[in-house]
Amino acid sequence: MATNAHSTEDKAIDQDLLAKAIARAVIDGDIVNFRFIFTPLSPARQESPEAFEDRKYAYLQPDADMEADPGFREVLAMVKEPDTWRHILGELDARRPARLPAPLLLRLADQAVRGGKYTAAAQAYEQLRLRARMQQLFFDEARDALAAGDIPRAVAGYRIATGLEYNYAAFPEPLPVVPDYQRRALMMHGDYPERPEDSIPMQEPTTLLRTALEYLLLSPEAAAQIEQTADAPVRVEFLVQLVHAVDPQWPAFAERYRETCGLMRAYQERIEHAIAQRGQSRGLADEIEDTLGADPEQLPARLLGRELGKAEWWQYLKELASAHPPAALFVARQAIGAREIIVPRYRSDGPLPERLGLLPSP
Amino acid sequence: MAQQDAGYINYFSILGLNPDAKPGEVRKEYRRRMKELIVEISRAEITEERRSHFLLEMAKLNAAYYVLWNGERREAYWTERSALISLEERWRDAAKAGDAEAEPLRREFERRLRDFLTKFIEEAMISAGRDKDVIEESNWDMAHERHAFRILRHYRQSLYQQILERLPYVDVTEPKISWDERRRVARAMLDEAVSSSADARS
Repeated sequence: MATNAHSTEDKAIDQDLLAKAIARAVIDGDIVNFRFIFTPLSPARQESPEAFEDRKYAYLQPDADMEADPGFREVLAMVKEPDTWRHILGELDARRPARLPAPLLLRLADQAVRGGKYTAAAQAYEQLRLRARMQQLFFDEARDALAAGDIPRAVAGYRIATGLEYNYAAFPEPLPVVPDYQRRALMMHGDYPERPEDSIPMQEPTTLLRTALEYLLLSPEAAAQIEQTADAPVRVEFLVQLVHAVDPQWPAFAERYRETCGLMRAYQERIEHAIAQRGQSRGLADEIEDTLGADPEQLPARLLGRELGKAEWWQYLKELASAHPPAALFVARQAIGAREIIVPRYRSDGPLPERLGLLPSP
Repeated sequence: MAQQDAGYINYFSILGLNPDAKPGEVRKEYRRRMKELIVEISRAEITEERRSHFLLEMAKLNAAYYVLWNGERREAYWTERSALISLEERWRDAAKAGDAEAEPLRREFERRLRDFLTKFIEEAMISAGRDKDVIEESNWDMAHERHAFRILRHYRQSLYQQILERLPYVDVTEPKISWDERRRVARAMLDEAVSSSADARS
């Protein structure tokens, strides 16, 4: 491939910049930038009045470190492979929607999986019509690993497999399933627990295990498969590792949770009394204020690690689920007078709180 | 034909009838199958997954009756279905031969396919649920309808995917896939994920 300009009467495009931009999108698993380069309004198009070399498109270019990376150089060579390059230039010249080069799109999908960008990978595989089979490959690997007791591999496999799920019922067009924990957490806590044992964390341990798997993997089917493949102790170990995989900052949350539990413990009896005297719960607010010497809103604020002002319980829950998705499994709604807050809650006879470092020291 | 018409919903097959079945047979078979389905539902332990499955099965039977029992609807459905199957074949032949006609055919096919699936899946199934005969036989009500929207959209798209699978690639060149190679790549990606996760935790 020539490195000088690819030109027509109207416009010259620096081929080297173009090749590097495409290679960068592929290596980053960035399907948005990759598609953008080929869209009808792309600056790389002959028909576009924009200059591809303009500074505003510098974000498409690799930095020096990336250019030196062997992986990048390998992808760049793929881009510059004569047939592929000819196809790319032909598509950018044609006045019609481009046909993306499949080998590059496939590599992009694989790179997206490697980078944990599962929705990008799902879109790329879907466009190549490989998504369902690739997803099945990962499901098979994950199930085999789980059956063999290789939990880390099973966790990685199920995370990738469920990350490649597509929502064909999305409107108006199908979309990848997105890890929208903030929305799912709200749905999970949609009904106020009339009795403490109705709240999510107070479910039977095996039920909580199932709820947690469905919520964290975003897939009832995967949760059902895990339930059929592994017995309860293996599922607990799986879930513990899954929590850390989904939320690498979990230890920081667990520490705040323990602190908040310490505060709660100080007036647990009073809370239970107030619950028994439902309808007179104004007394609970007073008692909490007496105990804490402050606004009870500090409970959710301590869980979250920051204050949201006069926010409602659901705002705290959404923020918490966004920052620490598994946290939504260990909190419950609690009415205090006319307001509600979220408070830590767990069953001490279940294996998860202890394994996840949520139990305060005695 | 089994391969070529996969994805174009066949209401005759849903009722186990031939395309020349008389309206009386349509009604008889619909009633019989609906009764069987209701008995099956009453005996099953209902989970979220089974609820969706039964709702879809009920909607399919209802729509089969609604579309096939009425002569005008039946004619419109079968004509459009046959025309689409033939259009798909023409487009595929043109695309294979590299004809200039391929692109206009593709556009026409795409438009008519979407119209067909929308009209004879979502619209037919929802309209069927408001038909008095259907309500009487299936006890379909507004609660069913509310739950059905999402399930029907998913079903329509699954059929679209079935058709798409055998069509020429349009927005991307055709990938050359070795599934042995893909399996090796998947395993390698899993190895990398496991090792990077171990690094992060340590």
